[in-house]
Amino acid sequence: MESSDQYNFSIFTPRNLHGKKNRNVIFTMLAIWVVAVFGFQFLLRAIEKPTPEKALTIFETEWSGIASGNEDGADYRALLNSLLMVKGKLTVAASDRELLSEAISTVTFRMVPDSLRPLVMEKVAELEIMHADIAGLKGQLYMDLKFRIQDASKNLITILEPHTGYGATSLEASLLAASLKKDYPVSLMEPSLARLPDLMKLYLTHNQSVLTDTKFLGFPFHYFYTAVFLLVLFVVLCIAYNILIEWRLKNEGIVE
Amino acid sequence: MQRYMKKLYVTFIMLLAGAISLNAQNLTQLEGSFKTGPAIILIATLVTFVLVGIFFRAKDPADYYAAGRSISKVGSGMAIASNWMSAASVLGMAGMMYGFGYNGLAYVVGWTGGYVLLLILMAAQIRKYGKYTAPDFIGDRFYSRDLRIVSAVFTILISFAYCVGQFGGIGLMFKWILGLNYTWAVIIGSSVVLLYTLISGMIGATKNMQIQYVIIVVSFLIPVFIMAYKFDYFWLLPQIGYGAAVTDIVQGIPAPNISDGAALLNAYGHDLSIVPSPEFAMPWDPSTGTTFFQWVAICFSLMVGTAGLPHVIQRFYVVPKVTDARWSVVWGLFFICLVYWSAPAYATFGKLLSSNPEVGVLAKDAIVVYTAQLGGVNSLVVGLLAAGAISAAFSTVAGLLVAGASAFSHDLYVKVINPASTPKQQLRIARLGTVLMAVLVTIVALMKLGLIAQLVSVAFSMAACTIFPLFLLGIWWSGSNRAGAKAGLFAGILVTVISLTYFIVNLSGGALPGQAFISYWLNVWYFAWFGAPLAIAVNIVVSLLTKPTPLEIKKFLAEQVHN
Repeated sequence: MESSDQYNFSIFTPRNLHGKKNRNVIFTMLAIWVVAVFGFQFLLRAIEKPTPEKALTIFETEWSGIASGNEDGADYRALLNSLLMVKGKLTVAASDRELLSEAISTVTFRMVPDSLRPLVMEKVAELEIMHADIAGLKGQLYMDLKFRIQDASKNLITILEPHTGYGATSLEASLLAASLKKDYPVSLMEPSLARLPDLMKLYLTHNQSVLTDTKFLGFPFHYFYTAVFLLVLFVVLCIAYNILIEWRLKNEGIVE
Repeated sequence: MQRYMKKLYVTFIMLLAGAISLNAQNLTQLEGSFKTGPAIILIATLVTFVLVGIFFRAKDPADYYAAGRSISKVGSGMAIASNWMSAASVLGMAGMMYGFGYNGLAYVVGWTGGYVLLLILMAAQIRKYGKYTAPDFIGDRFYSRDLRIVSAVFTILISFAYCVGQFGGIGLMFKWILGLNYTWAVIIGSSVVLLYTLISGMIGATKNMQIQYVIIVVSFLIPVFIMAYKFDYFWLLPQIGYGAAVTDIVQGIPAPNISDGAALLNAYGHDLSIVPSPEFAMPWDPSTGTTFFQWVAICFSLMVGTAGLPHVIQRFYVVPKVTDARWSVVWGLFFICLVYWSAPAYATFGKLLSSNPEVGVLAKDAIVVYTAQLGGVNSLVVGLLAAGAISAAFSTVAGLLVAGASAFSHDLYVKVINPASTPKQQLRIARLGTVLMAVLVTIVALMKLGLIAQLVSVAFSMAACTIFPLFLLGIWWSGSNRAGAKAGLFAGILVTVISLTYFIVNLSGGALPGQAFISYWLNVWYFAWFGAPLAIAVNIVVSLLTKPTPLEIKKFLAEQVHN
């Protein structure tokens, strides 16, 4: 009579030698797979260090002077540049973007002589209106206004260039033109800008290590490993598994 | 049949040639206008799908469910890849990397690494077991009608959740091409995909999937080559060449950006320049709002979910032999990787091309087509890219609707409600199920609940918590019995329900006790990191404490599946 126990099996306790060999292949593949995918990420995590961008160091130096009451003695060009380095990032949240625009406007208008301020204010107001209008346009009207905005931005950049140092072709100039606001805090010490140091720290600190700083085929190494190599490894593992299994089936004379 | 197909392709090519002969309009407006060339390409592509569906239509239930087991391993691999590469792969993945940097790579690795699990733990064994659908296997292996019913319901729910993201992607692309609003775009797109799935069933769908795969790959790869060449990166292998662009983003590129005396500009005339942006590539960057835990949880959930998705598992019933099941996974994975190696390139070029503030904030889920547009790629090529994205969504939706309809008609209607039904009745019920599901998915897709990749990942977590543990233990442990399976499934469902409940409450603006805790640790995008191991553990413990598996099941497993 057949016993239920004679057909018992699990992946850990195969019923015969063929099963044991199968189990060993599967466990080997799984071990490679787990270590390659998750082991590497744990390694990245273990050795990473929060690393500030250069712009953060500059900002913190200037900000400490401002916080100690020396707002007039700050290097506004350096400060503006560090703010624009964050404003140019695409991951900045909408509310943070707004706060940055206010800070950038405050710093910029401090750099502009009083005589020029009404003209700059007028250009900024024009741009604000055009940016509001373009959202509802389509087709040629959209493109026409798009080019008018570009022209107005260039015009504004040219006016500001002697004071900010940004030429018409620089990215910082485009960021500046898109950031300036008509209504802005008069002083950097106003409560509405109190969040600025934390915000700068958030966007200008990154988890870096030797694995992220090393270059391989042009990539940061860790990026290459995850985006390219792991996929190659998966395909190779699958091919190796199939070849191995079929070779064993043939050797052992097993027909599936 | 071949003569018809030739005629069909000649027509298709002529339509394309006609489209190309039109003056390509300058696509500098990213959204909102009707785009003639891309529209012609889209219509020609859709007509092709429907005609292929008619030529290869299902004649009986066996054809409808499993394509008569007549598909070769390379063909099945292409179908797996096409079925797999959805709007989430073609549109959503690049969007995740564009918006969340390195965190987006968890989707790339999760959606490919799961195939290793699928191959070594499931593919051949599923084929050897010899059933049509996932609930078939579960009902039979655990000798339980209740489990069949519950797994059939979850097969439908998983397919449903997966479809929602696809319909969203279809809507976005129809909106982009036709200049329609999102609502009409989703309605028109879902009507077309429903039409051809109804006409064809899986055999037509399988043929279509092979054609769709070619369209997806060609349309997805061409713009990457063009942009790599145009912006002076290593264009012969842009899947490696974009690495230098990643480094450029990390270190920043000052304007003006000149190469060989010519300025590198996007379609608006802005310099290809960017402020240093390490957050794009650095792991779990704080500014992206993502963490190490989330990376690991998403990756794990997607991998395990891959091996538990009913419409993916169902592909292994279609191949004629066990060895074909194994090799079709390899082919499928390789074909998938061709696209997945390229998706980060879109995110990378997209980041560079949209860095000027004048470009404005772009929708992440449409970043692939925006990137090609901003890269100044010919509008017809961009149109082909959009048609490819729609093909990706269509091929997946077709597979999902068939899987859902199979669960509805084969596992619920035939096996539970009306066992004496005729083949004709079964086919009618399958089609009714398809229509019902498509209508409901359309309604939910119109709500725009999240990004495409995130919506799809809900389906993966559901599959990982419910179907995967039953297949894993059902195949690999004869001791897993009915009581264990029921308890494990209950645990998986419980985690799923908790996560979904907190998500819905959060969406509606409310808060339950521990809202922040559950929203982070059991987030709806990755709750399987906890739910799947829990379901497996509960299954094992309860199985050990209750009546053993019957002899005939153990014998069948030992002799047929693990002989």
